[in-house]
Amino acid sequence: MRKDLLLVAVIVLIGVILFKGTKIQSVEEYYLTHIDDITRESETIKISIRVDAVLEHLDKIPESLRSEKYIPKDGIILEETEYVLRPGDTVFDVLLRATRHHKIPFDYQGSEENRFGSVYIKGINHLYEYDCGPLSGWMYTVNGEFPDEGVSKYKLEDGDVIAIQYTCDLGRDLGHPYDEKEVNP
Amino acid sequence: MRGFATFHPFVLFLYYAMVLIITMLMLHPVILVLSLFGSLLFFLTIAPLRQFLLDLGFYFLVFLLVAITNPLFVHKGETILFFLNDDPVTLEAIVYGFVIATMLVAVIFWSKSFSEILTTDKFLYVFGKVVPKSALVLSMAFQFIPLFKRQIKKVHEAQKTLGLYTSNSITDRILGGIRVFNSILTWSLESSIHRADAMKARGYGLPKRSNFSLYKFEKRDLGMIVALFVMFFVIIFAYIKQYFAFNYYPAISDFTDTKQYFFYFLFVFMLTILPFMMEMKENLLWTFLKRKISASPIRNKKNVS
Repeated sequence: MRKDLLLVAVIVLIGVILFKGTKIQSVEEYYLTHIDDITRESETIKISIRVDAVLEHLDKIPESLRSEKYIPKDGIILEETEYVLRPGDTVFDVLLRATRHHKIPFDYQGSEENRFGSVYIKGINHLYEYDCGPLSGWMYTVNGEFPDEGVSKYKLEDGDVIAIQYTCDLGRDLGHPYDEKEVNP
Repeated sequence: MRGFATFHPFVLFLYYAMVLIITMLMLHPVILVLSLFGSLLFFLTIAPLRQFLLDLGFYFLVFLLVAITNPLFVHKGETILFFLNDDPVTLEAIVYGFVIATMLVAVIFWSKSFSEILTTDKFLYVFGKVVPKSALVLSMAFQFIPLFKRQIKKVHEAQKTLGLYTSNSITDRILGGIRVFNSILTWSLESSIHRADAMKARGYGLPKRSNFSLYKFEKRDLGMIVALFVMFFVIIFAYIKQYFAFNYYPAISDFTDTKQYFFYFLFVFMLTILPFMMEMKENLLWTFLKRKISASPIRNKKNVS
């Protein structure tokens, strides 16, 4: 019987840990976020989310996504918006804050779930990787440059302009010189 | 009373291949529910009620487990119900989880009736000549789990007579079960090698080796094959034409298309309910014949005398 009691204790312990480790929030609670007010002294960055590349390939994406709701006609999901830069912020922190503020659905793979050790953007506003063919997905630029770093590794500086864009062709349709880099690294 | 099982093994194999392909290929909820319905009804006719209910209970738990797992890992979908550790749990992901679970349980029940109907000898009869080695391996794989279960029961009973398992403690019983499982695992590996050796020693797979089997290809088998192919091609045609298209992400489709192409779903229904109907027909025939026997004059004369 002693062994049985031990078994029950272990099960209860696991149950308690599971229960303590879960946090359940209603939708309203989750989106109730505080955005820092922009003052004259605060450092700021600008962020925008666009899907222009998809507009040229509307025939390639699944039928269920061909709607104004998911792919706006002007290609703008989030127009360039200014946010306060908190110290140590990465692109991911700002993106998460912005999408949460504007209630844009944002799905990502956490940095501990892949071997690159950085967050991977899977989908924004129901538009996911591979939705526009095998070479499609989300990319980002900072001040017009494509950093060779994961989205949660790039530390931002004052005045940076971030653009999150959807590509249908490995970034070539966004002006990323992918092929040249492969040839002359 | 085995109505469906009396068909030629090749027909039976064809049927199962078609049903499994359709179940696994098409993610339409109506098709999956039809498939699950057909597989459950058929399994009910060929298995004892007690075993059927036990299996139903167990696979209901499996169903729930699979259905719950999907929304925990997939965050796609429009309708967010709540946030679990900052990840959205969506209605669409839950529905998709249930759909996948339906598919899984349907496939499992089809496989269960498959192993009852298409026994190892029938399977070897169909494929033994063409691909002897793979057929042997496959047939051994098919009967692996049933054999395993039977052997575990045997060892379990033997251990009980030896006086083990007398402890009331759950922990002790679990540990004992693990010990039995361990021994069966090595036993099963060894026995499969022995069986392969035995088959080889008897000349299995040699070109001139002949073996006796009592399967005749009759007219009704041919008719069945034609009927099966007609149904299958209609369904595949509808699938290619996107009549069975159904989206789960980002929003779940409505059933207007389903109503419009109702005709094609009828074919799926016919295909999945077919084995059950065959059993039913045979059962009805049997009761009818029995009544005829009791009504026959010979029997009545006996009663008089």
